[in-house]
Amino acid sequence: MRIRGLFLFRRYSLPIFIVLLLLFALVLMSMRAKQRKGVELFDALLMEISFPFQKAATLVIKTVQGTFQHYVFLVNLEKENRMLKEKIAQLQEENHRMKEMKLANERLRQLLQFREKNSPSMIGAEVIGRDPSSWFKSVTIDKGEKDGVKKGMAVISPTGAIGQVLKIAPHYATVLLITDYNSAVDCVVERSRAKAIVEGKGENRCQLKYLLRAEEVAVGDVVVTSGLGGNFPKGLMVGEVKKVDKKGHGVFQYAELVPSVDMTRLEEVFVITESLQPAHPPEEKGRKGKKTKK
Amino acid sequence: MKRFVLPLFAGILFLILQTTLLSFLPIQRVRPDILLIFTLYLTFLLPPILGGILAMSLGYLMDLFSGNALGFYTFSRPLLFFAAYFFKERFYLEGFSSQFLFAFVFGMLEGVLILFLLNALQPVSLGNLYPMLFTFLLPQSFFTGLVAPVLFFLFQKVSSPLFRQPEQGIKERA
Repeated sequence: MRIRGLFLFRRYSLPIFIVLLLLFALVLMSMRAKQRKGVELFDALLMEISFPFQKAATLVIKTVQGTFQHYVFLVNLEKENRMLKEKIAQLQEENHRMKEMKLANERLRQLLQFREKNSPSMIGAEVIGRDPSSWFKSVTIDKGEKDGVKKGMAVISPTGAIGQVLKIAPHYATVLLITDYNSAVDCVVERSRAKAIVEGKGENRCQLKYLLRAEEVAVGDVVVTSGLGGNFPKGLMVGEVKKVDKKGHGVFQYAELVPSVDMTRLEEVFVITESLQPAHPPEEKGRKGKKTKK
Repeated sequence: MKRFVLPLFAGILFLILQTTLLSFLPIQRVRPDILLIFTLYLTFLLPPILGGILAMSLGYLMDLFSGNALGFYTFSRPLLFFAAYFFKERFYLEGFSSQFLFAFVFGMLEGVLILFLLNALQPVSLGNLYPMLFTFLLPQSFFTGLVAPVLFFLFQKVSSPLFRQPEQGIKERA
């Protein structure tokens, strides 16, 4: 009987292994679904190990890209003018670098002003990678738990809301963008104060959900955060309404939104380390009648 | 050990390339999934048990790098590996078109599976995602298929001296 059992096990060892492996994967999925208990520490360790490589790869790619843009395309020039053109190339590169520095300076100054204006409890972070799959929309930033970043914290830029921290490692974090299908942010339409939930639709698009049919919403309306979620500050621009559809029956109407931030070109972001809602009651009051500054 | 560690490191390298270099492509819709191509190639390189574990590890890492909170790839990648493993004999994988078709079919299959899981396991309904099969999944799988023959060739060139074994690799098998 025992021999027969062993024979059967050997015969079916591969199917048994496949079933066990897939079951294990399903168990991991369910653990993740239940607040990711048990896998969190392992995830953080793996993230900590792999993200420096990602950061290095981004740096190399940016350098190579810069070299191609500024130098390699100038190589195929006439021989007699090579010296002169090399000089021009060098000057152009220097000029370009200075322009780039100027732009970076302006951008960082803008970020600094934004930070000072809004709250000191923000951490600046650099985007070092993007989602490996095209189904989900997330970015990796170079700040983590050690820098004060926690799960669920809001990530913003001077032009608007970006997303929320989804996973954290000691020095890195993954941010779920507002364009992801799993993202939901409580918002209001700035003009009519109609409440809705902004959900991701992938590919730099969002939709307004639970927007009552009776509410007045038009194309071009600006949508801002309501501050009710507790993570995002109130009045932060989320995007602009691009399409309104009242067709069909039901309590709600449908609206599509284009985020104010181009999620494909994110470079520097801010992580809000504490809820801004209680810190700015006067601003909220003053903002009620006004439109958000762009 | 070498047969697990080396492909794992190669997979991590491809994953990093996918999150950095390929994300610089202006059109995200045509971003080929090189990690999927690598997982498919593993079916020619490794025995099913080792390959299955490796495919799951790579899927786990992919979930880690991704905004996917539930971990679909930890499930889909080993499933895809085993499917490819058992069906690889049915594909004549010598030419460009067959290799393209192999990667394209499995790219589409994984997409359909993810779409199904997304629709089935989300606590809140995500609306109708099935139009994405044509607007997003088809072009992406197409480009994954286009890149696959080139990558299969490169993988084979690199893996042949490392894993000297007959009966493995695309050329030897035929």
